[in-house]
Amino acid sequence: MIKHRLPLLFFAVAALATPYSVQRIFLHTGIEKKMGTVQKIFYFHVPLAWIMMALGITCGVAAAIQLRKAATGRSRMAESLSIAAGELVLVTGLGVLITGPIWGHATWGRAWTWDARQVSTGLLWLVFAAFVLLRRYGAAGSERLAAALAVFGAVDVPVIYYAVKIWKTTHPTTDVVGSLPAQMWNSLWPALGALVCLTVGVLLVRIRQEQDAAELDDAWIALDDRGRALTLGGAP
Amino acid sequence: MRREDAPAAATAKPDKDDAYEPVTGRDQETVQCVRACEAEAAAKTASDYEHVVWAYGVLWSLFAGYGVLLWRRAVAQRQDLAELRRRIDEA
Repeated sequence: MIKHRLPLLFFAVAALATPYSVQRIFLHTGIEKKMGTVQKIFYFHVPLAWIMMALGITCGVAAAIQLRKAATGRSRMAESLSIAAGELVLVTGLGVLITGPIWGHATWGRAWTWDARQVSTGLLWLVFAAFVLLRRYGAAGSERLAAALAVFGAVDVPVIYYAVKIWKTTHPTTDVVGSLPAQMWNSLWPALGALVCLTVGVLLVRIRQEQDAAELDDAWIALDDRGRALTLGGAP
Repeated sequence: MRREDAPAAATAKPDKDDAYEPVTGRDQETVQCVRACEAEAAAKTASDYEHVVWAYGVLWSLFAGYGVLLWRRAVAQRQDLAELRRRIDEA
């Protein structure tokens, strides 16, 4: 019962935290001096990027567990988690890849500058798009290839994080977030909380769906096998 | 007429608010410059808000779209389960 109610709890918290964070961002946080009002995109763009990276790692780790346990038997939980997290990387990644260029268009004058962080984020999205497509339309046995792809995608996450330190990019360095004034942090936390609750809620729903789908498949196969056995047994 | 003969009201000092003060300070060039800066700032703010609305709109639309997709999958799953139950009852 708790398992079924848990996503609702996360959605309820997200429903409360979202309007609270939006009013904090627009009514109680000053306008940034250099960028102006457009900097308010930051409060959802950055947490969404963090969530995307966390989901990428989650998907990669779950896929690695799935690959490791493949020899001893299927790990349903790991498989469901990797599929759910992989799909959410696509959703959050698309959010990051759209809100970022909107912000860049207003601040840098160009939506896409081909800097290392943008390119590595785009690459992550493409890898997970391939993962999701392979999981959905791949033939039998393709789940192992998809899992390997997810592990490869997870390796890209540290590249995204360190891209601003290694290469010269239009993105600011990772130190900028740490040096934010308290007023901005106080608005960033509720926005992060709202997005985390929403994502975890959706993730739990998707995991449950995937487990149900697997159980349904098993039931259909068992029914078909039973029918076939009865037909063979009943044959003269 | 001597100065001392003037009516008292005429010689009394006017209230501070009503006192005439000649306009000083901004010349026409400065005023135009300020107006241009204000117009630029207003245009920047309007553009910023447009970008913010687009970004926030896209973000929440993505989650809403994915929510609809999950709901449709759940409906299909329920139909599949109902069909399975019907087949089991038949068997």
